[in-house]
Amino acid sequence: MSIKIGFLINPIAGMGGRVGLKGTDGVVDEAVRLGAHPVARQKAEEMLRAFSTFDQNHQEVLWITCAGNMGDAALEAVGITQKQIVYSPRGNTTSAHDTKNACTHFLTQHLDLLVFCGGDGTARDIFTVVDKKIPLLGIPAGVKMHSGIFGVTTHATAKMLYAFITKQLTVGDAEIMDLDEELYRRGEWKIRLYGIARGIIEPTYIQVGKSCFESVSDDEVKDELADHIKDELEKHSDRMFLFCTGGTIDYIAKKLNIDNTLLGIDAVYQKKLLAKDINEEQILQLLKQYPKAKILLSPIGAQGFILGRGNLQLSPAVITKIGIENIIVVATPSKLIHTPVLRVDTGDALLDRRFAKHGYLMVVIGYRLSRVMKLQTNSF
Amino acid sequence: MMTQITKRHPNKFLKDEYNELVKNHLEWNIRILESGSKPHSIVNGKEVIMLCSNNYLNLSNHPRLVKGAIDAAQKYGAGSGSVRAIAGTLKIHTEVEKRLARFKRTEAALIYQTGFAANSGLIPQLVGEGDIVISDELNHGSIIDGVRLTKADRAIYKHRDMSDLERVLKDADKKYRRILIITDGVFSMDGDIAPMDKIVKLANEFGAMTYVDDAHGEGVIGEDGRGIGAHFHIEGKIDVEMGTFSKAFGVVGGLIAGSQDLVNFAYNKSRTWLLSGSHPPAVSGAQLAAIDVLETEPEHVKRLWDNTSYFKKELNSLGFNTGGSETPITPVIVGESGKAKELSNKLYEEGVFALPIVFPMVARDKARIRTMMNAGLTQKDLDFALNKFEKLGKQLSII
Repeated sequence: MSIKIGFLINPIAGMGGRVGLKGTDGVVDEAVRLGAHPVARQKAEEMLRAFSTFDQNHQEVLWITCAGNMGDAALEAVGITQKQIVYSPRGNTTSAHDTKNACTHFLTQHLDLLVFCGGDGTARDIFTVVDKKIPLLGIPAGVKMHSGIFGVTTHATAKMLYAFITKQLTVGDAEIMDLDEELYRRGEWKIRLYGIARGIIEPTYIQVGKSCFESVSDDEVKDELADHIKDELEKHSDRMFLFCTGGTIDYIAKKLNIDNTLLGIDAVYQKKLLAKDINEEQILQLLKQYPKAKILLSPIGAQGFILGRGNLQLSPAVITKIGIENIIVVATPSKLIHTPVLRVDTGDALLDRRFAKHGYLMVVIGYRLSRVMKLQTNSF
Repeated sequence: MMTQITKRHPNKFLKDEYNELVKNHLEWNIRILESGSKPHSIVNGKEVIMLCSNNYLNLSNHPRLVKGAIDAAQKYGAGSGSVRAIAGTLKIHTEVEKRLARFKRTEAALIYQTGFAANSGLIPQLVGEGDIVISDELNHGSIIDGVRLTKADRAIYKHRDMSDLERVLKDADKKYRRILIITDGVFSMDGDIAPMDKIVKLANEFGAMTYVDDAHGEGVIGEDGRGIGAHFHIEGKIDVEMGTFSKAFGVVGGLIAGSQDLVNFAYNKSRTWLLSGSHPPAVSGAQLAAIDVLETEPEHVKRLWDNTSYFKKELNSLGFNTGGSETPITPVIVGESGKAKELSNKLYEEGVFALPIVFPMVARDKARIRTMMNAGLTQKDLDFALNKFEKLGKQLSII
């Protein structure tokens, strides 16, 4: 049976970057006026060509796509004939509206994967429609690509696609990140977490016999992490725990019957929720009442940020009060395979330097099991 | 009101789970040796050059070992009658332990029923709640199982990476009561050796215990095959040297060597040792003879290394990638799993028995044929095997 892959290009993605804009949505005319040229289709074709070099055995793939520059033209250009068009944009200029409309059509097609070409903005538009219903793989072509669903390069994306089709990779959680527009309008460039999508991940294997291995699901690994955190909560019953953002922490909280928020920070004391979705000020207030605390967080896949992206509530004041030594970092091994270093960007150079002095942090990767990860301060 | 519950099937899972293994090609196809484990063995009715047994020194067929087994059986009988702790410690068991300690140049030694019993019995006693086990990421499954039985925390360090080990030690130093560093001596997939001298040095700095599983090093590395302690000239400085009689020694049984305190602690606390029947006298007789042979016939270890050097050198000159092996385990890295399996099957058809090691046991692009040298193979045998490797390597576009 053939695999059904959705294929979507945001034709204007990436145009703003070359001319110094934060993205391209809504400013495409300005980008063109400043001299920008479309780049997305070329990137998409690069990925498709690289894919065909891996795909020597010609896997049975049916490409479900959109007309013209939103997909079909690129498939046509590289000679792919097994395709079906399910959406046609009106007019020549496309927008976020077209991306979302196309996704509504994709939802009825029982896709195994949706490959798209764009940036964080495109990823967000797609995510608002497909949520976790279709796994996503991004060909990097936008201005910003902080989300965990992008391949590092077009070539790497093609490799991942081939590995997924040949069942070497599996599906797991990945973060959708983008610029915090509210803060940006106030002049601050901060990236925040918008949600947890389904992306492509490396499976985790455990040895079950002398040379017999079994693939364990990410959820099973997260179960182990939840057991570990349960022990920690019991061992440190005198401490408040701040459960931070992201899919891994969300899973752990749900497992411990804590009614948490996926994208916010929650305070937990003696396994009970103290306060939900709290900001910096509220955390500092709580620390007066509960001066001993621990921070529980998980890095953002691939980029490895543990502080400074998606959890700005953990301000330098909060971190200093709680102490670096009271930060518990948890991650699934599948996430760490594509995350070479942990990064910290607290916004306070002095505090960043204190992290830098550590050089490395222990990361919990299973029940009572941890490993050391290299730590880098400041961002890109 | 009572709900009708469908009666559960008591054992349907046995068949279901086996079928699932077969469906995924994960079941073991047991091969039958009709000849004993020899350099030329009859495997499933076919004579092959043996390149995948652990019988490195070809001692399993040595006349002195066979005689040792027969003599002991005649003197003490077929079985030992009990567990060691109650009425199953025969004089010959204690003789083996004394001789082994002398051979290992340690204060004392203890025999376990198997190597697996040593790891799974001793590790959980050495550490518990409030302690940490620090383990090389490529350690053998029996260590992993032993560690799983403890209540201690666990941390892993990058394979043979001493800087990474030091980072973990620094972090653990402040938090834990006892620290146990545990590693394979010779790693069975790549044939590389743990830097035990550096591990011991680091352990001393932090007051950590050291434990080495030297199953593939015992009888192979170090002076006259005395193992990893002798290899690095640190005999008696490793807290627990664990090993086995089932590989180069050619018999069966696990062992630990170290201080008298270790041995006293180990036999009083290891549940596997306390609750399993002791070795039959024939096993102990053969073990004793194996130590005798190693102490008096250095030619076996020499021949093993001569064969290894020749085989490795010739494989490399044919253009095969043999990785970073430092021991008689020589991987022939061929790339994709399918190719490794195909090469292994074709080698068997041509009369060479060597098994493939595939993903996820090794990285996706590092599937290999793992060859294990045998001191009993002649140069003619090795040339025969090399000839087949060359022919098939070219046929499958590996070289």
